[in-house]
Amino acid sequence: MTDDRVISRRGFVGTCASAALVGLSCKGGARIAGGFADDGGAAGHRVRDGAPLGRVVERIKVPVVIVGGGIAGLSAAWWLGRNGFHDYVVLELEDDAGGNARSGRNDVSAYPWGAHYVPVPNRDTTLVRELFSELGVLRDGKWDERALCFSPQERLYFRDRWHEGFEPLLADTRDGRAEWIRFNDAIAALRATGQFTLPIAHGAPSTSPLDTLTMAQWLAREGFQTAALRWYADYACRDDYGALASETSAWAGLHYFAAREHDEQGPLTWPEGNAWIVARLLERVGSHVRTRTPVRRVERRGTGAVVRTDSAEYECEAVIFAAPLFLAARVVAGFTVPVDIAYSPWLVANLTLERWPAERGSPPAWDNTLVDSRGLGYVVGTHQRVTTHTDRTVWTYYRSLAHQTPRAARTDLLQRSWASWVEVILADLGRPHADIARCVSRVDIRRTGHAMARPVPGFLSAPWRRALADTRGPVFYGHADLSGMSIFEEAQYHGIAAARSVLRRVNHA
Amino acid sequence: MNIALFATVLLIAACGLVYELVAGALASYLLGDSVMQFSTVIGAYLFAMGIGSWLSRFITRGLVARFVGIELLVAVVGGFSSTALFLAFAWTDAFRFALYAIVVLVGILVGLEIPLLMRILRDRYQFKDVVSNVLTFDYLGALGASLLFPLVLVPHIGLVRAALLFGIVNALVALWSTWLFRHALGARRFLRVACVAVLALLAVGFVAGERITALAEHGLYADDVIFARTTKYQRIVLTVWKDDLRLFLNSHLQFSSRDEYRYHEALVHPGLAGLPGARRVLVLGGGDGLAVREILRYQNVERITLVDLDPGMTSLFSTHTALVALNQHSLTASRVRVVNADAFVWLDAHDEMFDFVVVDFPDPSNYAVGKLYTTSFYRLLARHLTRDGRVVVQSTSPLFARASFWCIERTLREVGLQTAPYHVYIPSFGEWGFVLAGVSPYRTPLTLPDGLRFLDLPALGQMFDFPRDMQPVAVQPNRLNDQVLVRYYEREWERINR
Repeated sequence: MTDDRVISRRGFVGTCASAALVGLSCKGGARIAGGFADDGGAAGHRVRDGAPLGRVVERIKVPVVIVGGGIAGLSAAWWLGRNGFHDYVVLELEDDAGGNARSGRNDVSAYPWGAHYVPVPNRDTTLVRELFSELGVLRDGKWDERALCFSPQERLYFRDRWHEGFEPLLADTRDGRAEWIRFNDAIAALRATGQFTLPIAHGAPSTSPLDTLTMAQWLAREGFQTAALRWYADYACRDDYGALASETSAWAGLHYFAAREHDEQGPLTWPEGNAWIVARLLERVGSHVRTRTPVRRVERRGTGAVVRTDSAEYECEAVIFAAPLFLAARVVAGFTVPVDIAYSPWLVANLTLERWPAERGSPPAWDNTLVDSRGLGYVVGTHQRVTTHTDRTVWTYYRSLAHQTPRAARTDLLQRSWASWVEVILADLGRPHADIARCVSRVDIRRTGHAMARPVPGFLSAPWRRALADTRGPVFYGHADLSGMSIFEEAQYHGIAAARSVLRRVNHA
Repeated sequence: MNIALFATVLLIAACGLVYELVAGALASYLLGDSVMQFSTVIGAYLFAMGIGSWLSRFITRGLVARFVGIELLVAVVGGFSSTALFLAFAWTDAFRFALYAIVVLVGILVGLEIPLLMRILRDRYQFKDVVSNVLTFDYLGALGASLLFPLVLVPHIGLVRAALLFGIVNALVALWSTWLFRHALGARRFLRVACVAVLALLAVGFVAGERITALAEHGLYADDVIFARTTKYQRIVLTVWKDDLRLFLNSHLQFSSRDEYRYHEALVHPGLAGLPGARRVLVLGGGDGLAVREILRYQNVERITLVDLDPGMTSLFSTHTALVALNQHSLTASRVRVVNADAFVWLDAHDEMFDFVVVDFPDPSNYAVGKLYTTSFYRLLARHLTRDGRVVVQSTSPLFARASFWCIERTLREVGLQTAPYHVYIPSFGEWGFVLAGVSPYRTPLTLPDGLRFLDLPALGQMFDFPRDMQPVAVQPNRLNDQVLVRYYEREWERINR
């Protein structure tokens, strides 16, 4: 951790300097504007480094405090409100609520800064369906057609051209086709066991033999050998967890495939990504949310707790800790749970394009993936428009830095200049789009050092998961970290589970 | 002077003129505005010939070998000029640059030919005879080429192969010259091998010419192009041959003036003639104003709103003499309001109600246009229909694209509308289909407007019968998140188009 701090400090100085300036780089004769979007690392690092607390100028008595305004915290708030409980505040460290589901907007389009879709929930994923029913996305059993991802959903770049869907790659050769069929059969068999549910709490056994090996080991054990399938599994793990298949629990890796079977072609998506949901939630609970309010300390007092920010003290009966768990160790007094989670660093870049670049093969899809790339491809921000023509567009480029150790990746992430990242991104996208540099007018980059917890082997049976779930209060934990899966369904589930515990406690009292 | 020399002069003159005509015609085809194209191409070409003539003074030695070399260069550059130009047009943004570069290069080379030839002959014949004979046969060759070009070359072998054919002639002249002037020529063997190599190259090009043609899509425009413009949204090309005016959008035929009345009468009247109370009509697509022309026959219709994406289309069809004659100035009629907008977005943003809606979009050949054939779009459209209102949708061919046609019909039913599919024969399109849809069941009209050229009540009744090879097939409705229609359409037309 000491190393980390030194490096992060240096990175932090770099962040501020670059964020303050608007970068300008020259590429292919065209000037590309942009810079690092505020990562929020600054406020987070103040908390981590134990910067001196300010004087308490305000003492507030409120029954419930929710720490963290991401999907988990906002879902907890939504649940409290739905149950007629309105005496609470949400304290958020960043300038805006939303966490990994925040977004940006320019004169071309809104765009996500992270999470950008929710798979169409199964019948069993009741809480997500409940939310979408309230938001009008689900009406009389039918999904809003404008929210379902339009055709074509995905395409893949290999052998110098784009192909619609992943199947052309996976079923390319006779061996590949045979293996692809066998893989799907294996997934169907696993699905039938009923353990791969969303949320995972409903199905996963606390111990599973699949959680003792990595996804790569499972593929080898089952005799899956083609490079295409191995690439696909690796891509899935990098995409969902920011980790390689050789680091991801086989149970989690398989969950990506086995938990998702829908009667409707999805996913659900919006130009701004899941920030659309955040905005709808804020319409309901926004008046309770205090942004730029980092929580510095959470302490028991009597049967309740005290939540200390830089300038205020909240005296409450219960706390929902809906922030990443690595913060709990620094903020919650007496937090003794030995949580040891690896966090994946991520880079998200939003590219503004003045025109569509040249390309070969199938037409632009919503999700555009490149085989054999360190990046995860890009999502087209204007895809959900009903127009037949779009001149300018925004692409959201994702890159999980899975090929390095998280620590080395964080160093790289923060030390590289904006111009250097732009070069890396344009080189990656230059393979399918030779003239990309001449089409792009702006590149905004957001770096997140601790974007998501990694479900490494053993996370399912990790003792701290049970310990945190069984907490009797007054501090209740509700965050996707408890699942080791940074996905909407898990964040929402844990936020609501904590809200339920709090309601029970408050109603008893 | 012997007959062989006369023939040489005649042939090289003909070749030179053919390249010029090819460049001029090609530029007119592809860029439109033939007066401008021919004027500038001829001007540039003659000017370049002047440069060539002037440059000839710098050639002092080895006149015959140089002459043969220039002939071979003309053969290659001129022979492949139209191929290069088509490819430049189809695959690059630098067509105009390529056009004038090639015209100037060929012009310079052709400009060198006659002065060199005259100097070669100067020592053998009286100068006054040389000048007189060479120029006489030069002009004769030009006359021959200018007659051959429109009468034989363009109609029978096409622009690509015409240039290649005359390239071969140039190369043969070169080979012939090595024999004709053999006494004044060293390195004969080398030059002859070069001639044969160039001939072989051109012959291969000539044989493969068909394929090059297909590659550059020029086969579509068999007729004279009288207008061509690339707008932000599409490429608009108008061609004419005798009384047949044709509109192409992105190389797809939209109508032929010879039979468009069949299409537009069939599109409008089966639906609108049955709605005597219709006052407000909406046309989506149809920027050519031909459907509007038919709608204007109804005095009960008070207001027609035409929503077409491309202002280039609607302004062309509001102003071009031949086109306003065809649509009878429909787009500038007082009852008509033209809106340039995306139909989906416009319907989203407005809440006006209509008694009759004509949906005349391009075929669903890609996911972008396919959005306008989805349950979402039809649901939105249905919200703009009055209680007894009706929609008609152009629905591609029920014969060539049977699943596509029935998919459109199925999609309209999916949103709760009752449908009445029908079809009609249009010579330039083949068997074509439409679907009428509304909340209430359709009844065929009892009267039709006066003055129709095609439709009468007996013909109307037959249009709703589908013979066995066009009957419904099992299909899925087309949705924004699952555009099956585009896949049906792609599969079906792939089978038809070779």
